[in-house]
Amino acid sequence: MRLFEFQGKRIFKEYGIPIQSGKLIYPGDSLSNLSPPLVLKAQVLSGGRGKAGGIKMWDGHQDLAKIVSELFHLKINNEQVKAILALESVDILREIYLSLTFNRSRSTPVLIAGISGGVDIEKTAKEAKEQIFFTEFNFLLGISDFQIRGLAKKININDSIEFRRIILSMYRIFREYDASLVEINPLAITPQGLIAIDAKIELDDQASFRHQELCRELKEEIKSIVSDNLTIEKEEDTITFVPLHGDIGVVSDGAGTGLLTLDLLARYGGKVANFCELGGITNPEVVFKALKKVHQDKNVKSVLVVLIGGFNRMDEMAEGIVKFCAQPNNQIPIFVRMCGTKENEGKKIMQEAKIPIYDDLHEVVQKAVQKARER
Amino acid sequence: MSILIDQKTKVLVLGITGKSGSLQTKIMKEYGTDIVAGVTPGKGGSKVEGVPVYDLVSEALENHQIDVAISFVPPRFSRDSCLEIIENNIKFLIITAEGIPEHDIISILQYANLKGTTVLGPGSAGIITPGKCKIGAHPPQMFLPGHIGIVSKSGALSYEIGKILSEKGIGQSTVVAIGGGPIWGLKQSDLLPMFEADEETKIILLLGEIGGTMEEEAAKIIKEHIKKPVIALIVGKSAPKGKSLGHAGAIIEGNLGTVESKVETLKEAGAYIAEDSLDIVRLIKHIEGEKHVDIY
Repeated sequence: MRLFEFQGKRIFKEYGIPIQSGKLIYPGDSLSNLSPPLVLKAQVLSGGRGKAGGIKMWDGHQDLAKIVSELFHLKINNEQVKAILALESVDILREIYLSLTFNRSRSTPVLIAGISGGVDIEKTAKEAKEQIFFTEFNFLLGISDFQIRGLAKKININDSIEFRRIILSMYRIFREYDASLVEINPLAITPQGLIAIDAKIELDDQASFRHQELCRELKEEIKSIVSDNLTIEKEEDTITFVPLHGDIGVVSDGAGTGLLTLDLLARYGGKVANFCELGGITNPEVVFKALKKVHQDKNVKSVLVVLIGGFNRMDEMAEGIVKFCAQPNNQIPIFVRMCGTKENEGKKIMQEAKIPIYDDLHEVVQKAVQKARER
Repeated sequence: MSILIDQKTKVLVLGITGKSGSLQTKIMKEYGTDIVAGVTPGKGGSKVEGVPVYDLVSEALENHQIDVAISFVPPRFSRDSCLEIIENNIKFLIITAEGIPEHDIISILQYANLKGTTVLGPGSAGIITPGKCKIGAHPPQMFLPGHIGIVSKSGALSYEIGKILSEKGIGQSTVVAIGGGPIWGLKQSDLLPMFEADEETKIILLLGEIGGTMEEEAAKIIKEHIKKPVIALIVGKSAPKGKSLGHAGAIIEGNLGTVESKVETLKEAGAYIAEDSLDIVRLIKHIEGEKHVDIY
């Protein structure tokens, strides 16, 4: 879950990271108690906000209501602006980049610092790699002072207590919130000291069980701002559902086999209407639900179910399929390939319900394609 | 010979009393795997499929020699049970759970690295050395003893290909599923040299998928260190871009991790590229004829 800037800054404040004072504005809010100079920042979840015109200055000479209205009419990456953060403006002497995240291919957390920060950081990462520094560390030890000292030297910043405190606060947020990203871009050096001008925090959804109350509150807040047509989360279960544009519905119980099935469908001339991967350890209800989902698409002419059980039990899969097929008004032909754990038990259940099953993947794919063409 | 496990391997099952843990224990035991102990906190003193259950890993170690631990513990309890294995100096740990929080996976892997425990997973379906030992969920009927070494991200795809090969009478030396990512213990690039060193393995089969850069790392190892023939199948070329299709790692962002880029690097490293599952059989026969590799 990605948080809005104002949510991230609320957390920053709680952990003692200095931020500008400010106010959140919703459409229709009174602007009378605002005084210049201010920075007005559209609150959106997608990046590239500055370049899309989502940040405006108000020095008191322009019409504030007009600037606010223009921002509320803005769409950034298809995301309608529904909240604006108004912040006191600060004098910036220099901007740097700081973030904490994972280097997943090296299985390590990493503290990233850039000599300069701001909207061009992605360009810098590509074109001026020598200006960005990666400090890997171990969770058993946390971030040590010598690492911060080394980093301060590399990015040419005073190794002050203030700077250390910001990095250690970022680390505490990273750990305590199960974040996958805590980013300050930029961290501004100002006459008043260091200030986090922006805040980007992403939380690991897989850890939300540890922060149920907090995640619910944040999610509610995000939902109240994000436009309805933007999907921000998966369903609660482990099913992955991807709607596409063809006429064959696909259900699989393993990502690798699912991908192979899509490749074979393309090879034999089939067009996929939707793809449903059951994921994790499944049960009859999950299969039933997946089939229901796949059938909801009006364009579906045949359904292909590819099962190869290791952890998944074919007797349970069969139970779910039989239950689904027993429903009245179910006219769409279904082609099932079933093998693996408890396959004899599963096949027996299918045979008793008179639902044909296949053993060969290539054969069942071709059957499903052929049937979709006939109908 | 085989890699990582053989018929002498002694196994501990974490989460042995759970629905999945007990079923898989039964299937593994029937296959001949030497499961010596199980651990589930609070269930010590009971038995599952004749295997004694302990409350603590240390108690199991007082009574048994243990070479490998496999965990069927749900994601939210995985950190604790995996750290317990590592703390007790068990040298090989297989983690089957998907959906473990990233902070927990990294903690487990960093501690394992410090203590010298090898980790397979998370999200791994395990390993099978056909006819000798199986630790994980590979369906026994899909595998035959032989000379093809398989490393796969996806468990299901490793079963799928094992099934096709076995139906054609082509056996396997060892089949390893490393998990769908995006964070791994053992990687393709760690397993390739093991297969290179293994006398039983004559041909190495690499089963990859879209997303990430792991196959690119594997290509580097193939080019520099692998003399045995390598066949690669990368699935997902017709997958829609920018959408996750199950494995968190299997998502294409920009040009990174496309099937085309992976195939190109692997080809350049000298690997044979299979177009689909049946094409693997054709390539194996081709290599057998061309290089006089005895696969039967």
